[in-house]
Amino acid sequence: MLRIITCFKWVIDQADIKTSPGSRELLLDRASYRISDYDRFAIEEAVSLQEQHGGSTAAITVGSPAARKSLKDVLSRGPEKAYFVNDPSFDTLEPSQTASILASAIRSQLEYDLIICGEGSGDLYAQQVGPRLAEALNIPMTTCVSKLTVYGTQIIAERKLDDGIEVVAIPLPALVTVLPEINTPRIPGLKDTLAASKKPVVDIKATDLGQSFEPCLQTITILASSMERNGVKFSADGADIRKFVEVILKTGNIS
Amino acid sequence: MAGVWILADNRDRTLELLNVAAGLAEKLDTKVAAFLWNDSQLAEDYIAHGADEVLILPSLEEDQPLEAYIPTIVEEALRQDPDIFLVAATARGKEMAARIAGRLNTGLCSGCTALQFDETGKKLIMERLVFGGAAVQTVTCLTRPQMATIAPRTFAPAVPLGDRTGQVRELAAGLPGLVRIVDRKPKAKQSGDVSDAKVLICVGRGLEKEEDLALVRELANVLGGELACTRPIAEELHWLPEETYIGLSGQKVKPDIYIGVGISGQIQHVTGIRDARLICAINRDENAAIFEVSDYGIVGDLYSVLPELTREFKRALGAGKE
Repeated sequence: MLRIITCFKWVIDQADIKTSPGSRELLLDRASYRISDYDRFAIEEAVSLQEQHGGSTAAITVGSPAARKSLKDVLSRGPEKAYFVNDPSFDTLEPSQTASILASAIRSQLEYDLIICGEGSGDLYAQQVGPRLAEALNIPMTTCVSKLTVYGTQIIAERKLDDGIEVVAIPLPALVTVLPEINTPRIPGLKDTLAASKKPVVDIKATDLGQSFEPCLQTITILASSMERNGVKFSADGADIRKFVEVILKTGNIS
Repeated sequence: MAGVWILADNRDRTLELLNVAAGLAEKLDTKVAAFLWNDSQLAEDYIAHGADEVLILPSLEEDQPLEAYIPTIVEEALRQDPDIFLVAATARGKEMAARIAGRLNTGLCSGCTALQFDETGKKLIMERLVFGGAAVQTVTCLTRPQMATIAPRTFAPAVPLGDRTGQVRELAAGLPGLVRIVDRKPKAKQSGDVSDAKVLICVGRGLEKEEDLALVRELANVLGGELACTRPIAEELHWLPEETYIGLSGQKVKPDIYIGVGISGQIQHVTGIRDARLICAINRDENAAIFEVSDYGIVGDLYSVLPELTREFKRALGAGKE
């Protein structure tokens, strides 16, 4: 039986990010949160593999207690159990901490054959947690997976790399990070949402893990990226298009 | 022991990292070491471009991916204790760097876009994009080695420095890993390369059907440019090859001029064009986000604007040549 873990992150919805007028300061207080888009492909892959092969799918996340809202959402997408590793100090973790915390929680509470992560998170997009988690658990892993097949005790993964496709075979237990083209995540319906509230959630507190997780990377600032441009607009009528062409050619960027 | 180490998939990326590593090594009064595999003839080339030491990784079994080098690299890092370790942020490079950082229990700045050296703290101050490119995060590494993956073409390649000498050292082979390659399908090289193009015409979801690419291609031909696109055009619709999509997870480009056609301007895409010298956009929605990051825009339906724009450019450029 295939025991799958899928990892996900509860992130700020980028559409809600505002900048305070006249400065590069980010205003995030009123932003809403969502399951990181990249992680939705990992969740879907886990659930569809379980449908094919049987077994189980557990979802796990690390975050501050405010991320509790993510649990019903993730469970409505198919996993039958959620693990919520939470602490008030877990809201500004850097990737090495997240990976260590996940590894610690998984080692103490979960049995698994396959761990599936997204290609990166929707907020930091450091693309480190999957690889670091595999190292911390001392299991083989691969990234950039665009197709995944399970054959008994091994997986065959197609990796999409800069210079082409590489197909690898990996014995289980293993970890993969998947690309968005691997599947099309299903949209949960009302029935899924209702079923989600009946599924079990395992709460894991920082104190249950019996160790501290020091950062290796320190954030000094996070500021809006400035992209100042001329912002001149022309209309679509003939005279304006001619003017547009003149202006562009005058900049000397077309030879 | 100390040093500034670099690791990259290929020669182009290695030369870019050598450029930035040489400056850092000078400030730290230490040496630059570059990893190399397969082609030991490049060792002299890397030394000429600024490496003080070239570390040759032993050849791998046929079925072993490059990631099988990780244990060898980690062992060497534990022995030599480098100050800084820079890795090219290619698909493989990102995985290798994260796994190496994990084993060395050190911090890693992923996709670093700019860095400075703080002389007093002997620390790298590194910038990277977050929230899909909407914000810049500035980080420092609290542990050794200070690690970063550097996006391709962030730095110019190093130039040959003439008479230089350096050491070449071969590292011992490690045990084969559990991940085995069972097949390889190399990508056929496409004709145009968007990463080097001076003029880029980029299409987005505003284009209604694949045949309409002809309209865009005509404009590209007149301007001597290449066609590029947004992620959905390549990955969902497959209208253009995957290596032509621009954005956070695709190509980051620095053309002289970028013209976005039917592109809304999602931040993930815009992040890929921020270094373009001139950004232009055509979109029928005057409130489209792309106009906020454009130098010049035309508000109008691309199906009527494009033919006219192509005709006007043809006329103007033709007149200039006579």
